[in-house]
Formats: sequence, structure tokens, C-alpha cells
Amino acid sequence: MSFEPRILGFLCNWCSYAGADLAGVSRIQYPPNIRVIRVMCSGRVDPEFIFKALKLGIDGVIITGCHPGDCHYIEGNYEAVKKFELVQKLLSKLNMEKRIRLEWVSASEGNRFAEVITDFTNQIKELGPSPLSGKDLDMELMEKLEALEMAAESYRLRALVGRERKITEQENVYGEKYPKEKFDNLFDAAINNEYIRNRILLSLEKNPKSVKDLATQLNIDSKEILNHILVLKGRNQVAMEDIIENQPIYLNVMER
Amino acid sequence: MVENSKSILVIGGGVAGIQAALDLGDMGINVHLVEKRPCIGGKMAQLDKTFPTLDCSICILAPKLSECYRHPNITLHTLSEVQKVEGSSGQFSVEIFKRARYVKEDVCTGCGDCATVCPVRGVKNYFDVDLMTQAAAYIPFPSAVPPAYLVDKESCVYLNYGICGLCIQACGAEAIDFTQTDTSLTLDNISSIIVAAGYSLIEDTVPLKKFGYKKYKNVISALEFERLICASGPLEGHLKRLSDGKEPKKIAFLQCVGSRDERNKDYCSSICCMYTTKEAMIAYEHDNNLETYVFYIDMRAGGKGFQKFLHRGEDEYNIKYIKSKIAQISVDNKGNPKLVYENYDTNKIEQLKVDLVVLATCIIPPEGIDELAISLGIELDENKFIKTNPFYPMETTREGIYVCGCVHEPMDIPRSVAEASSAAAKAAELVRGGEF
Amino acid sequence: MTEKQDEDIRIGIFVCHCGTNIGGFVDCEQLAEYATTLPNVAHSEHNLYTCSETGLAAIRNAVKEHNLNRVVVASCTPRTHEPLFRDCVQEVGLNPYLFNFVNIRDQCTWVHMKETDAAFEKAKDLIKMGSAKAAKLEALERIVVDINPIALIIGGGISGMNTAISLSKQGFKTHLVEKEDKLGGRLKSLYKLFPNDQEASAFLEDMTKKVEASKNLTVYTSSKIKSIEGFIGNYNVEIEQNGDIISLNVGAIIVAVGASVFEPTNLFGYDGEKSITQLELENKLKNNEVDANNIVMIQCVGARNEERVYCSSICCMTALKNALIIKEFNPDAHVTILFRDIYTPGIQYEQYFKKARKAGVLFIKYTLEKLPLVDKNEIKVFNEYLGEEILIPYDLLVLSTPLIANNDNSDLAQMLKVPLEENNFFLEAHVKLRPIDFATDGIYICGSAKWPVDITESTTQGLAAASRASRILSHETIEVESSTAYLPEWNKSLCKGCEVCITICPYNAIIKNEDDEIEIIQALCKGCGTCGSTCTKHAIEIKHFNNEQIMAEIIAFGGKIIE
Repeated sequence: MSFEPRILGFLCNWCSYAGADLAGVSRIQYPPNIRVIRVMCSGRVDPEFIFKALKLGIDGVIITGCHPGDCHYIEGNYEAVKKFELVQKLLSKLNMEKRIRLEWVSASEGNRFAEVITDFTNQIKELGPSPLSGKDLDMELMEKLEALEMAAESYRLRALVGRERKITEQENVYGEKYPKEKFDNLFDAAINNEYIRNRILLSLEKNPKSVKDLATQLNIDSKEILNHILVLKGRNQVAMEDIIENQPIYLNVMER
Repeated sequence: MVENSKSILVIGGGVAGIQAALDLGDMGINVHLVEKRPCIGGKMAQLDKTFPTLDCSICILAPKLSECYRHPNITLHTLSEVQKVEGSSGQFSVEIFKRARYVKEDVCTGCGDCATVCPVRGVKNYFDVDLMTQAAAYIPFPSAVPPAYLVDKESCVYLNYGICGLCIQACGAEAIDFTQTDTSLTLDNISSIIVAAGYSLIEDTVPLKKFGYKKYKNVISALEFERLICASGPLEGHLKRLSDGKEPKKIAFLQCVGSRDERNKDYCSSICCMYTTKEAMIAYEHDNNLETYVFYIDMRAGGKGFQKFLHRGEDEYNIKYIKSKIAQISVDNKGNPKLVYENYDTNKIEQLKVDLVVLATCIIPPEGIDELAISLGIELDENKFIKTNPFYPMETTREGIYVCGCVHEPMDIPRSVAEASSAAAKAAELVRGGEF
Repeated sequence: MTEKQDEDIRIGIFVCHCGTNIGGFVDCEQLAEYATTLPNVAHSEHNLYTCSETGLAAIRNAVKEHNLNRVVVASCTPRTHEPLFRDCVQEVGLNPYLFNFVNIRDQCTWVHMKETDAAFEKAKDLIKMGSAKAAKLEALERIVVDINPIALIIGGGISGMNTAISLSKQGFKTHLVEKEDKLGGRLKSLYKLFPNDQEASAFLEDMTKKVEASKNLTVYTSSKIKSIEGFIGNYNVEIEQNGDIISLNVGAIIVAVGASVFEPTNLFGYDGEKSITQLELENKLKNNEVDANNIVMIQCVGARNEERVYCSSICCMTALKNALIIKEFNPDAHVTILFRDIYTPGIQYEQYFKKARKAGVLFIKYTLEKLPLVDKNEIKVFNEYLGEEILIPYDLLVLSTPLIANNDNSDLAQMLKVPLEENNFFLEAHVKLRPIDFATDGIYICGSAKWPVDITESTTQGLAAASRASRILSHETIEVESSTAYLPEWNKSLCKGCEVCITICPYNAIIKNEDDEIEIIQALCKGCGTCGSTCTKHAIEIKHFNNEQIMAEIIAFGGKIIE
């Protein structure tokens, strides 16, 4: 039997959902793999939703909204872009970024909706089943995905995403704009850091470890691990539990 | 707030009429909205996108259509026309003629089973400027409001020969009703009337022979272009020539076709410079190798963001603007139009071969304006647009009758919408006068 | 309520055949049967047309008979039919927000007509997801806002006066605030008005009389807005008049502050004597001080250039008007208008243009690349049509300069929390369909404060603003969207006050209140939900589309989460 992917779609009420309805009224056929969740605006789609879907083994997630400038809520779709870019950057660490897509479909584009869905379905078919969809779960990958999710949930990344447009598009009181490139560098670094920190946290949740243990397990330079540990200590997320053979052993002390 | 039992009549369910009705309805005033067509939305519903934001037209209009349809204070009369008006400001009595739909509007589920089984085909659809045909049971466009089908009286086999009736059997909702007849109804207690009857285009009445319109397949009107490039139109948004199905690589847009023209209409249609730029932009978005030429007399771009829009057209969409007067249009044996024109900037006669010509045709008063003006007792100007007060363009020559939108002068959508609200304000003043 | 309370969930599911549109492709009976296997489902059935009166009656009966507290209809699209079913469940005492729609026609059977097995599986999933969301639905209270039926109009020019007169006539108490000592704005400095050459002073006098006769209208001249607080229906405004502070409470605000005229310093020999602006010319004409024989006018001075891209739209008509007035006084005068494009749209304006040409006004086109050169007694202009430079003698040069945004627009914009566009004119909610509204409900914009307009459009927009405001003021209370963002009591401790939500809300619906807490003004929120997905602490919830509900849909499709 050929692989029939399971695809989740988030459609904004005003343009894309109407476009999907128009495809129906016009009887334009497209693959039946997609299941739709209607939201009022594409800006509503929380990165958390995408991660939850992927963790459940859903093979692909597509978000569709109004074309730029058409948003019923003025600028919600621009916020959707920022959130999508965050998730995309995070997922690229696991080569999973092709499993998600953001597209604009207007209420008059029934055809386009069908084309977009067909194309995305084919793309997912080519990628094959989600590595998290079978019975034998790749637990390491799951843990990594979970670390990404936690990163996306982190205050730092959510705050950066929420402020990005203001920071890069509007002038500050001195009439200056923060260069997009500079912001991107800052953003990328933050993504990286939060990902590793959450991997550390997940690892320490299972059992306490030393910096050296973590470095070996995560395949990351121990100096970098130490820096992260210090940050996490500062955030009261890890604490030193013990010292064994002159090595401090750390523990995840977060409440979950 | 105390309200009286008086209503306001709005004639025309285009964007102006809809806006006037919604404003009044929202104020708590009863409104009768009369529309000649089977559905509301007017010309704006037929457009692909709107300038200068390139918003998808139906995307922004559709919520207003359904709001209007569902509004507790608005009674919608489709397929209806005003026949007779009696009384005076504050107390009109209006007779409405309503054509039969042959489908129960409140029962129809909009499923389209009737159209599927209908044996009649080839019925022209005004909504697609006759570029697409349909069954005798039809809905003008998929998101039409009211969301109900209708049966075309002229072509329906059952209505003409008493046989067939397939749609009756197919309709599980039992919405088809051939016992419906055209009816008249009288609306009393009408405090004031707002005329928002919209406009027609000059090609509806004048052949435009000079431009080869209807003679050459690759010379089309701007409204036809809107339908052809619209994703929900006859070509599903893939712009092709009607002569041979080829994608045009060079398009000429001709301004002032029938307007600012001594032999036709001497006025300016106001909106063509902008919508032409928009159309050229949309066409370019479909094909980034496209060359477009706009032949114009004066660029009329005074509205908000319009100049910037023109600059974008030139800089980002490869549009070339040529100040000129068209002398002649002919076609070669492949159907490619050739333009001969006087270039006003160089004072030379030049020519250009293109694949497609789009005519920005003159806006004229709507069909039936004479009869409407007579029944309303209002004056028209020398072009048969409704005559208005120069500083209060929502006021007609008769007290209690107001006007908005293109029925009194060509104008763009924002101005129509603002005028609609201003007419609503006038009507509200009258209906509430002396109440406090 | 400080925390959520569980209740016994009883869902009813109604699968519609829609004639053969759904039933012809998938087995609706089996779908209804499948629905009974889902959690919390107390009843399911299938109907030929659920939206028909028979179908609606079936829903009402089932709600009563099976004591249902959630209703799911699997049929066409919520975009057309949700209001109908919401009304239906409300009739039997259910909160309309406890209804959920599942689209198995437009987005299932109609688009998978040749894959009916897959369509059936999809319909099952969609019903499962819809039912899962229904279980999490919450009854929503209608949000009602009190309206103080009083209007404030800022700016007593032509548009503001018209708004004020109309609102007063409609019966609303109205306050009109003007910063100068007299009403009239730009109209005060004009001579005659196009297109019918009416005296501006007579027009203004007529208007002023109407203002004075308006019973419900209070005028505050020499007054300035000091502060504005509040939201739709209830604004507290402070006005300063001659050093006194006047406090007002109003329900709606109309911005009609007009625009300023660009002064052409250092352009085309501007000196206020031999080279003057159109506005200065109006004054000279009024006092019969024009004795020049060779008059040249230059259009687009300081407009349609790199610095100021826009066309001010009124200057061509002003120039034509004044040229015709000069010609009337002195038929022998030579009037030349140097233009780029003549902006006379519509019927009357185009006729006016024609009239000017007939009267012998000469029109010469110039381009931005080759601007006219002004010497002491003559002007050099390159004419492309002739391909040569022309010398025009002049003894009066008139510069048509654009209207520009007032330099204090940003102060007012900040007080009202409304946006300006790049030229500092006020920015409306939507240039096409909401030309008189701001995105924030209860505040409206008209006249040249938004964009340069002539008298005719100013009166139109002034009246239009009266209509838009009247929609609100006509009601003691108004109901606003119930499915809004909110910060539940039980989440308040999560909020860290980062204010990102304030930054991204397009409607200024989120503020920090006196207690330094985030507060979402329900009356302003439109329910897009972007703040919910942005909130750094997941503290904000979106009613009817909350995380729990959306997550339930995801899990219903994806299966259980493995943590």
C-alpha cells in the first residue's frame, strides 16, 4: 500500500477557509489527506500547535492565511510569518522543516487552494512517513523534538518573535531601525542556545549528570555546556546535586 | 433611543447601496434594499482585486454581503425594481416590481443539484460578462448573496413548454417552485430614498467600432479583463487570449475609451487610470515577463497612495505609460492587434504591435435611469447622471431623495462608500427629525 | 469564578446528507453511528437536510429529549450556516457558543468525489475533531458596552462643521472643538469655490448659521485637546480653553483637523509678492489687488516629487478656478498654467477644464526632470511636444502648492492611539471599504486630515463620519464580539508584564491598567487571537479558539500525546 500521509491544516476564517470552500463549490478535486482546523486568523497559530501535531506523528502541517495586506485583522498574517519562521528554523535542526508550510490563499482562489494542498501532499509523500509516526518510536528524536518545542515555548524566543516586527520595522525614539540582519544573528543564536539548554534540561530530568557526561551525550563541547549550565542555574532551572570525583553533578529542578 | 416605524428605501445593492443600508440598519433604522439582479454585490463583486492595496475584491466585500443579508433591520428585495413613487419627503409610498425566482429563497440550500440536472446549457451569465455560460437553473457566482439559485425564465424548458421539471425532482429540499409569479408590492411609510443604482459601461450601448471591440477577439473591455484574470472567473485566473488561447506577452491598456472624447462622452471616468495600473500589475504577477503599455491623456491619480501606486507600477511591474492619442487599431492575420498613435511627448506618430488590448471604457448612467428618474421625480444632468448639489453631492433636486456612488458621477470605491454613509446621515436626520 | 469547573458533557451530533451532496458520496448513517462511539456523545442522527425546518426541529427535539449541552452539525460550511444553527440551539436554551460546525461537504465530499472511501475516513476524522472541540467549548457571555450618546468633533473646518450639524440634527449632544478663534478652517481664506464660483464667505456664513441654530451643539473655539482616555462609548476628554480645563465624557470621537498648506520657500522665486501661492492669490483676488497682465501658474510645486510623492488633488481645480476669475475680470490677461497632469476627474471638473481652455487659458506641460526656470521677468519651460524651450514673460507667478499634514497630527494620534501614514496624514481602517473609520471602534476620520480633499468631498466625509458615529451613539449599549482574547483570573499570576501583546494588538485593545496589570478591553478586541499565540507566558486565552480546544482537535486527529 502506498504511503498516505496525515496532514493537518490551519485555515484562517476570512480568506483561506473561504478559498477552500470555493474549491468545494467549484468541485476542484485535491488529495483527501488534509484535516482542517479553522482559526479566525493565521496569526492565531501558536508554534505549540505545530509541535504538538508533529509529536503525534502527523506527517505535515500547513497553515494558510490571507495574502499580505489582505488580513481581516490588519496584520495578523505578518505575525503568522514570524511564528512560522521560528518553527521552521527550529525544525531545520532535525531536518524536519519541509514538513511544515505557510501559504497565502484568498477567498477567490479555490483553484490555488487545491493546488497548494496537492503540492504539499505530494511533498510530504516524497518525504515519507514522519519518523515519529510508526509504532517503534525513535525516542532520541522525540526528545530532540521536545527540546525544540520547549525552546519555542521559552520566554526568550516568544518575546523575540513577538517583538521582531517592532524591532526591525519601526524606528526607535532616535529614528533608527535595528538592522534585520543583526536581528537575525541574534535570533539564530538565541534559537541555538534555547535548543541546547532544553536538551540539557530534558537530559537532566531523567538523571543527574556532570558537564562531561552531558558533553558526551549531546556531542557538544563541554565549555559550551558549562556556559549553558550557568545560565540555567541563574534561571533556577538546574541545581548542583552532588560532587562526584571532583565533578559537580547537576539536576533539573524545574516543576513540570 | 426612540425609533419610529418609518423605513428608508435604498435602491441598488452594490457596494454603495450596501454601505448605506448597513449604516442605517446599524443605527436601528429599518431599511428596504432593492436590487434588480438576483444577488447583491454590484460591480465590486465582479472585480478581481482593488487598487491601491491589491486587496482581493470578494474577500473584503463578502463579509459585508452576508452582514447585509442577515441584518435584522434590512429587508432585501432581489430581482426587484422600483416602479412607482408617491407622496413626499418623510412619507413616500413606493411600489416595487419583483420578478419570480422560481426557487424558494429561504428553502434553497445552495447545493446546486438543480443546475446539475438542468438540461438547458449555454445561458449567458451577466456576472462573467457573458464570457461563461450556465444552466437555466443557476447562481450568478458561488458566494452570491442571497445564497439561493434561480431559474432563468427565458431559457427554462419547463416554464416555456411545460415539460422537463428535472430540477423539481432533483431538489431534495423541495425549493423549486414554478408556481411563483412576478409580483408587485407596496412599501408605505418610507421616510426617504437613497438611490445607489450604480453604473453601466459604454460598451453596453455604443459599439466602439473605432477600437475594434467585439470585432477583434483580442480587444477586450476592462471588466472582461477582470473576470478573465480572476481566479474564480471563466479562465480560472489563467489569462489567455480569447482568439487562440495563447498567453499574452504584450498588453496595451487604452485609457479614455469613450470618455474625454468629443464624439462620445466629454467627461472623465475618474477610476480608469488607477484600475488599469492595477490590472497591469495583476497581469504581471501572473507572468513576470509581461510587457504592458498604458496609453493615456492625463494620469489621474489624486487619491490616497495613488501616486505611489503608479510609481510601483513603473518600477516594479514593468508598466510603460505613454501620453498619447490612439489613431487606429487593426489586427494582423494572427489576430495580433496593432496600434497607431500620436505620442504627445515626442509629437510623433508611432505604432506598436501587442497580443492583447484592454479598453478602459467610459462609465455611463445605469440602464433604466430615465424611468427611475421619472418615477422618483428627480432631475438628471445632460449626461443622464443624477443631478446633485455641487457641495452636497448626496442631495438630489428633490427633498427626501438622496444619492450615492456612480449613479451621479463616476467615482472609486472609497468615495462611493463615504458618499453612502453621507446619504445615510442625511436620511437619518430626516427620519429622526424633531423627535428629541 | 477563579478556576474552571467541570460539567457533564452531553454532545449531540447531526450528520447532514445535503440531499446527495454529502449522502451521495459517504454513508451518513454510518457516520452517525460512528459518532456514537466518540467520547461524551449522548446522541447522534442523520438528516436529509439538517438546515431545513425539519432538520432544525430534530435538533431542538434532541436537545430536549437527550438533555444535550453541546451540538455538532456535520454538513456544509460555517461561513454560511453557522448563524442559523446558533440561533437554533439558542431557541432551546443553549448558549450559541456551545454549537460547533464540521464541514464535510465543501471541504470533503465535494473535493474528493472520486475517492469516496478516503472521503468517508476524512469525514470520520473531522467529526471526531469537531466533537472533541465541542466537548471543550464554553458558554460565552455577550459582551455589552454602555454608550454615552454624545459626540466630540475635533476641528471646526468644513468637514467637522458638517459632522456636528448632522449629529445634532439626529438628536445627539455634540461638542465641536476648534483651535482657532473662529470656525471655518481653510474656508476662511478662500475667495470663491469651484465648480460654481460661489463666494466662500457666503457659504461659510450659511454653515455658521446652521451651527448656531443647532440645539444640541456646543462649540469651543480657541480650544485644544489636552488628553483623551477611554474607549468606545466612554471617553474622558480634557479640553483647554483660554487656560481653563473643561472635562467632557463622550461616546464617539471624530477627527476633522484638516491639513496645512505647503510653503514654497526657495522654490520658483517665491517672495510673497511677484511669486505667490494660490492661497495668497485668493486673498489678492478677494481684495481686488491683481493688476498683472501676464500670469503664470506652476502646478505640483513641492508635490509629486521625491520628497512628497503624492498628488494633492485640489490644486488643479484651484488653479483653473483662479485662472477663470482672472480672465473674467480682465479678458485680455494672459494666463498660462504649467502642469504635469491635469487632475480634473469626473463630470463637472472636466467641464471646468474645458471651460478654462475655451476662455483662452494656455496649458503647457512640463516634466519633473526639466522643471521650469524662473528669471526676473520670464519663465523658461521645456516643452517636449515642441521639443524646445519656451520663454513666457510674467508679472505675476502663482505657485500651486500641496496640502500637507498638520505638524501636530502625531500628538493627537498618540492621544487617540490611532496611526498616521507615511506623509503624517491619519490612516483609516481600510482605504477601500472603511474610509471614514479608524481600526479602533468609536473613532472616525474625515476631511483633509486623512488626505487632501476639496469642499465637496469634505462635506461628504463630514456627513459620512456623522453616519458612522451615529451607528454607535444610537444605542444605549452595544454588543461586541464575544469570542475575544482575555486574561483569565487563574492565569493572571503567569503574566510577567512583558507587554509584547500590547505591541502586536492591531486594535489597541490591550493596555496596562493603573495597577500595572495587563488588561484586555473586550469592547475593542476583535478576536483574531494573535496575542494568544504571542503571549510569552501563555497567560492570554482566546475564547472559542482557546489552546485547550485547538489542542483537543489536534489530539483527536493525531492520537494521544506521548510525554
